Amino acid sequence: MTHLGIYLTGPFGQSQQLYEVRNEAKRGRGTEEVVRQQIEKDTETVIKAQQEAGLDFIIDPLFGQYDLFQPLVEGVPGINAGRQENWFNNNLFYQKPRIQIENLQYTSGWSEKFLHPESLPKDGSWSAILPSPYTLLILSEISGYQNKKSAIQDLAKLIKAEAIHLASLGAGRIQYDEPVIVVKQSLGSLKREDLELLETAIDICGRVPDTTTVLHTYFGDAAPLLPFLKNLPVDCLGIDGTETNLEPLLQEDFSEKELVFGRINARSTDPEDPEELVTELKKVAEQCHPKKLWLTPNTATEVDGYTHAFKKMKILQETKRLFNGTNN
Amino acid sequence: MVQIINPPSAKKTVRHLFPTYEVGSLPKLPARVKTIKGEKVSAEELQQIKNLAKKYAVESAEVEEIIGRTEREKRKVSSEEKKQLQDFNALLNIRIQEKSGIDFVYDGEARRSEMYRHVAQQVVGFEDLPEMIRSRGPDSYKKSICITEPQLKSGALDTLIREEFAFVNQQAQHQVKVPLDDPYMIAVMSDNRYYAQQAKEKYIDQQQIRYEAKREFTLALAKNIIRPQVEAAVALGAYWIQLDIPAATLDIGHIPIVVEGINAVVEGIPAENAWFSLHFCYPRRNSLTEKSGYELLFPHVLKLNHRVKHFSLELANADTYEQDLAVFAEYKKERQFGIGLGVIDITLERQKEETYETPQQVRERILRAADVLKDRTLIYVAPDCGMRQLTLERCIRLYELMAEGAELARKG
Repeated sequence: MTHLGIYLTGPFGQSQQLYEVRNEAKRGRGTEEVVRQQIEKDTETVIKAQQEAGLDFIIDPLFGQYDLFQPLVEGVPGINAGRQENWFNNNLFYQKPRIQIENLQYTSGWSEKFLHPESLPKDGSWSAILPSPYTLLILSEISGYQNKKSAIQDLAKLIKAEAIHLASLGAGRIQYDEPVIVVKQSLGSLKREDLELLETAIDICGRVPDTTTVLHTYFGDAAPLLPFLKNLPVDCLGIDGTETNLEPLLQEDFSEKELVFGRINARSTDPEDPEELVTELKKVAEQCHPKKLWLTPNTATEVDGYTHAFKKMKILQETKRLFNGTNN
Repeated sequence: MVQIINPPSAKKTVRHLFPTYEVGSLPKLPARVKTIKGEKVSAEELQQIKNLAKKYAVESAEVEEIIGRTEREKRKVSSEEKKQLQDFNALLNIRIQEKSGIDFVYDGEARRSEMYRHVAQQVVGFEDLPEMIRSRGPDSYKKSICITEPQLKSGALDTLIREEFAFVNQQAQHQVKVPLDDPYMIAVMSDNRYYAQQAKEKYIDQQQIRYEAKREFTLALAKNIIRPQVEAAVALGAYWIQLDIPAATLDIGHIPIVVEGINAVVEGIPAENAWFSLHFCYPRRNSLTEKSGYELLFPHVLKLNHRVKHFSLELANADTYEQDLAVFAEYKKERQFGIGLGVIDITLERQKEETYETPQQVRERILRAADVLKDRTLIYVAPDCGMRQLTLERCIRLYELMAEGAELARKG
């Protein structure tokens, strides 16, 4: 019988208290130290809540990180912040990484200042999130490299060095965030070169000792790409179940891969019905035969705030209870 | 009430090339914010009011009295006192813009909490999320959930536009441009639960559900929320309305909804001389498609109602004027739009760096744009966006150097 596991896949909604101290600091009426203290407090709360809700992997809620690339931009020599850009089709922004040198050094530890390894589990259940090198390449401004292939090789080595570092701190799962490949698919602009670049990157960073790795896609329809994505050397493939229709997914065999089904809509407060989710998940389990099956939000829960992030976590918990209960 | 030291007669006519305008918001005066919140105002914050009032010839004795009185009596402001504080702030913003050399002015949105919230809190059918939602860096906003068809609350038009516009129109010595939210922007910034639920009942395909839900929501907002504000403003004499659409290119497949929403606001407005501009910012310069930035708007915007004549564009943040404006030159034969050229980068990062554009840089940007567009008369000069996130002192300096740069450009 397939067992259903659950976890979160991105930054958690900020609390009102965190907003307030952050706003005070921004306006010069409060300090960054107070913000840091609130982040630590909220981080403890959210880590504990994930554990109490029976989540199989635990994430750092990343309250101090403004976008996926900020740790790289602030911590890697040769990468700095470019102009502001919209983060896909939501109301978030990111600062475009600007890579102006060739031969990036494969430094590590740059994501650590945004994390709380001392509070995260050391039993292999900490899931750490890093940008997939392909998404990083495409969303960056690169002037230091002769071509994309040489750039992505270095980016993949850089990301892998960080993944190994996080594994040494206790991360048991490494999630590579990969929205671009499926967004390009949905927009009709995907080319063979894109697939080759992603493949080159994942060949380099897809295997990390003592961890399971996930290529987590979101914001686009993964269905047409599944035959390609399934063959990439990662342990697990994440798809956005709010963008990818169920029927084409059910045609795919996942017996060699773990499947992360991002069916909880992190960008909507509309609560999913756990019983309907169980019905869908059973079809996925029976027809796709995944090595392991995971239910998650499609992306970060931060866009609808703290309270709704907890509500979505509760739906995960209830769906897991119903699914595993009815299967047992 | 606020006294006008130099009461306006007729509004100043603009006849020169490269007219300047503001885009929207300015930061609120800390003393005003704190007094309304019932918090203690520092000596520096009070002095700021005195200094600005003196410099821009706005009477401040009454607001100083309100600040002192409410603090002494340890109470919150009355609604009349609150209005006086807002009037003062609004008038000060108008005078700051006028004295800085801005040709088309407004009140810095001094009465609006922020662009989205200002409208959302006047909508029946919207419920607030419990917390502020982070959006850009440390910036956050109060997001609403749409739970039924949106309608304006009773009396909302007075709060949203009538009182605000009447005050500006009475006080401004320069020409007035009225900024209003566009319906698509509100749709994107809200949680569209109501229309998403309806679409799920009609469609199976996930992409179609998202498209139809957003379209229905945008059109309802256009008809029920935004258009009534436009009608109210033009009834009071507004002739230049700016619709703010920061999110226009967020979802590339949904740009037809943007156009449909604007047309639903604009079509048939019963005022012959009223015309519209659209403010766009942060276009998808890295769009993941062959088109990028403002190119993405074409050819869709060719279908805009003919009363939409002008686009205000964020350009300085990227500083790729040639690339960003090429599409407007390319389509000029089919349709010509005036361009509000963003020449001032308004991001917090520049404030943190304590760097400014120079007037020479502004001049150069204007002339670069003129080279691309091949028609100087199309160009207006503006900041990239509203400036509420910056310090007021910085905003004033930015206005001044923008006006200085435009003057340099006029000389060639």
